[in-house]
This record gives sequence, C-alpha cells and structure tokens, in this order.
Amino acid sequence: MSEENWIEVGSTDSIEEEDLIRFDHQDKTFCVYKLTDGFYATDGICTHEAVHLEDGLVMDDEIECPMHQGIFNIKSGEALSPPACEDLKTYPVKVDNDKIFIKID
Amino acid sequence: MKNNIIILGGGQAGIYAAREIRQNDSKSSIKILGKENLLPYERPPLSKDFLLDKKNEEDLYFHSSDVLKDENIEFENVSISKVDFENKKLFAKNDHVYSYDSLLISTGSENKKLSLDNNLKNDIYYLRNLEEAKKIKEIVSNKNKITIIGGGFIGLEIASSLSQLQKKVIVIEIGNQLMGRIIPKQIADLVQNTHIEHGNEIILNKQIEKITKKNGDYEILLNDNSLIETDFIIAGIGSTPTVKLFENTNLKLDNGIVTNQFCETSIKDVYAAGDVSNFYHPFYKRNMRLESYQHAQNHGICAGKNIAGVKTEYTSIPWMWSDQFNLNLQLTGICDEYDEIIERGNDINNGVIYFFLKNNKIRGACGVGIIGKVGRDIRITSKLSEKNTIVDKQTLSDQNLKLNKLMQK
Ligand SMILES: Cc1cc2nc3c(=O)[nH]c(=O)nc-3n(C[C@H](O)[C@H](O)[C@H](O)COP(=O)(O)OP(=O)(O)OC[C@H]3O[C@@H](n4cnc5c(N)ncnc54)[C@H](O)[C@@H]3O)c2cc1C
Ligand code: FES
Repeated sequence: MSEENWIEVGSTDSIEEEDLIRFDHQDKTFCVYKLTDGFYATDGICTHEAVHLEDGLVMDDEIECPMHQGIFNIKSGEALSPPACEDLKTYPVKVDNDKIFIKID
Repeated sequence: MKNNIIILGGGQAGIYAAREIRQNDSKSSIKILGKENLLPYERPPLSKDFLLDKKNEEDLYFHSSDVLKDENIEFENVSISKVDFENKKLFAKNDHVYSYDSLLISTGSENKKLSLDNNLKNDIYYLRNLEEAKKIKEIVSNKNKITIIGGGFIGLEIASSLSQLQKKVIVIEIGNQLMGRIIPKQIADLVQNTHIEHGNEIILNKQIEKITKKNGDYEILLNDNSLIETDFIIAGIGSTPTVKLFENTNLKLDNGIVTNQFCETSIKDVYAAGDVSNFYHPFYKRNMRLESYQHAQNHGICAGKNIAGVKTEYTSIPWMWSDQFNLNLQLTGICDEYDEIIERGNDINNGVIYFFLKNNKIRGACGVGIIGKVGRDIRITSKLSEKNTIVDKQTLSDQNLKLNKLMQK
C-alpha cells in the first residue's frame, strides 16, 4: 500500500454522527460517512441515475438516495433496494491525528 | 403443502409477489401469466430515460430469466380472456386452461382513451408499455411540433423528454392547474414555469372540441375556438384499473379490485396487488388505490407473504415521484385530509415542500426541487407521519433547521 493514494478529506469533527459529507477530488465525487463505529467512504453518485448521494438520508449502516429511494449498505456498497440494483463502490478510510483519509484506487 | 399458484399479470407487483412467495415456500409451483411478451420491467423510464435514449430495453428488466429459472418461477406469455372463480380456472385466448389453488391478480391499470367521433383512433398515441414507448420514440424522431393532451405526471414527463429532444411541445390541460388537485397549486405552478422556461407551451382550462387530419398533420380545435396545428398527438388523460375481465363475476369491484389489508379479495384464495387493487390501509383507516412504483413493489411483496401463509398487514406509507427536466417531485402519505398546511422553502433550487397536518401530526407532504433537494426531507416526513409524531411547526417551516431533529430515537 503506497502512502500516495491516501487523500486527506478533512477533520474528524467535520462530520456529525450518522451523517455524511461530500468530498470532491480531481474529477470524482465521494461521500464520507460517520457511523457509530467509525468512518466509511463510497462513491458520491448514485448508481441508478446521476444524483449526488450527499443529499441522501443516512440510517444506521445505510444511505438512501434522495431521488428514488434506492438504498445502499455504506460498508459494503451493496444495493439493497430498487430501483438501485448496481452496487456502490466503497473505499478504505483511516483516521490519523483527527484527520480523515480515504484511499482512492 | 404443494400449491398451484398463478399470478395473473406480469408487471412489477406480479414479479415481486412471485419472488416473495418463493422465499417463503420452496415447494409450490409459481406461474406468472403475462400479456406482454416480455419479462417484468420498470415502467417509470418509459416516459423519461428510455425516450431520451439514456436507457435501453435491457436496462428495464427487474430480473433476468436466469433469476426466474433459479427460483423456479415460470413466466408464460399469454392473454387471459375469461375467469371461473368457482372452479378456480383461467381461460386464455388460445383456449388454454389454467387451474390454480391460489390466484394473485396484478393486471395493473390501463390508459383512458379520448372519445373521438371520427376515425382517428390510430392517430392518437398513448404510453403504458414498452411497445408503445418504442413506437413513440421512432415516430417522434421525424416530427417537430408535438401536442400532449393531458397535463398529468405521464404527459408532463413525456413533454419534458420531448423538449430535451429539441421538439416544440404543447400541453393542453382541461383543469386550472397541472397534475390535478392533489398537488398544491403553488408546486404545480413551479413545475409549469420550468416547462415554459424550457420552451414548452402550457394551455390550461381548455377542452378539445375536435381533431381533424390534414395532409398527414392535425388541427386541434379547442373550446375557445382557437386552433392548434400539430404533427403528432399523444394523450395522457389518466388511467383506470384493468378489471374488465372480472366485471361479470362475483369479485367485488369498486375503483379496482377491493382488497383488505392482507391483499385478500372478496373471493377466497384470490388476492390482488398493485395498480389494480383498491386496498384497505389500516393506518389511514380507509381504502385507496395507488399507481406508484414503490407501492407496486411493496404491495406485491405483501401479497406474496400472505399467499405463502405468512399473514402480513400492508402498512406502507404511500410515496411516489415524478422527474421532469432537472426537477424531482415527490409525494408522501395522503394530502387530502388536513386541518393545516405548512410551507417549507420557496426557492426551487433549495426545494419547496408543503406539509399537510391534522391534529399537529403530518398526514402527507408534497415537494419539488432541483434533483436531490427534497428527497431526504420527504423521507423523514414519511417516518414522522408513520410514527404519529407531534411535530414542531417552526422546524417544519424553517429550511435552516434540519428535519431529522424531529425524529425521536
Ligand atoms: C409511463 C409510466 C411512467 C411511470 N412513472 C412513474 C414514476 O416516475 N414514479 C412512480 O412512482 N410510478 C411511476 N409509474 C407507475 C408504475 O410504473 C406503476 O404503478 C406500476 O408499474 C404498477 O405495477 P403493477 O404490477 O400493478 O402493474 P403493471 O406493471 O402495469 O403490470 C400489469 C401487467 O399485467 C398485464 N395484464 C393485464 N391484463 C392481463 C390479462 N388479461 N392477461 C395477462 N396479462 C395481463 C399487463 O399487460 C401488464 O404487463 C409510471 C407508469 C407509467 C406507465
Ligand atoms: S437516482 Fe438513486 S435511486 Fe434513482
């Protein structure tokens, strides 16, 4: 694992618990979540149609798309409820000195 | 016990019911009979991304034939033309007879047709299924000025798609606002403005007097004597439940097939789900018929459980959406039983929501905004309403205050 791929997202207190923030890097958009047991990251755009999941609702381990209520598991990316059927890509997250980093491919 | 289960109507409610039955019952035979020679598919994209070529046929199917095979669910392309509930038999046009132990009716709904006095029946197009969507897509490719009769959801979605295909679109609506009275006038007006900004012409309060064909084009005469020239006409004037087949039977009908909260009809071992069913909703303590994606799915699943012997009440809070241009409109709950209306936001860029309250609890809400802007709040609204939460009105009306603060943990 090379260090270069870890990108700093922000400080750990920039996200409320059971919430998310959007993070844009180069031409990609990600969502970074704070769940009860830690931080997680997924692609920021729904796999159904091109809508930003930053406006979605986080419930337990799930993110629900604001457009058609497609639901994804935040930890695995699995599409749990139609019309979403394609899984959401997830990314490793680490916290270092109160800063959140995500590893992009 | 091994049962012979037949699902009449191979749409969304039918496929969800079939898979749910299989989850709970590995032995019974499950057969879906469908009039369309297609595996069950999603209809919402027909008026939107399918017309826009952003989705094609393969993207629409709920499941591949492999999934059905794995789960031992049979799909047969056949149109049923007669039922004999007493002897538990269905008769097909091709003389084939099907016997069942349990029957689910999920025949959906069909478009109302314009009553025209001349021979224009084949000239007016309607949109309900994939075949019609394909035909419309093909024909509009060499038409320019298109008239849509009816300013409901489907008509407006088609108007939005055709405008994005650079067509000149006119929408004629008989009522004094778009999308019917269930949508707050202010929201209907915001949607109307968006259509106008994109170049669509919206004509309200007008009725069609006569349509005449002229050199392959059409002239539409309205009741104020104005004339519209157009080269293609699509009508979206509402729909009715597909119940013709049952009209001379004992099955209780009233705006669809009457069912209780367990999807049971008036006849033993006969169930109904989806657009075709006028069901009892225990939360609202009344019957209702819904035409929505979420309802077809959840009602199908509930029927599937009950058919498989897992007695389950249907309690889903109604929800539906419509996408037009860059707008997403959502409706939840019921919006016709209220003693107070509260407005949240007034700018379409941040989303505008109208809440319908009764005794300080939310009964329903309708919102519209640029894509993504109302979904979360509408979802929270459904939850608040489902839990009968007494809501703080200040929080509802102030867009700077987050609605999830109202949710009790
Ligand atoms: C163009 C369009 C756009 C839509 N957009 C949205 C949207 O944006 N959001 C939303 O929430 N909802 C939308 N809907 C509504 C949603 O698609 C329907 O509510 C849903 O499909 C209903 O499912 P169903 O299973 O009850 O009926 P259907 O999916 O209509 O399936 C019924 C099936 O039964 C078959 N059938 C009928 N009679 C017979 C017979 N005698 N023998 C054999 N087969 C028979 C029919 O051919 C059909 O295939 C839209 C609908 C349409 C048509
Ligand atoms: S865009 Fe996310 S579910 Fe449709």
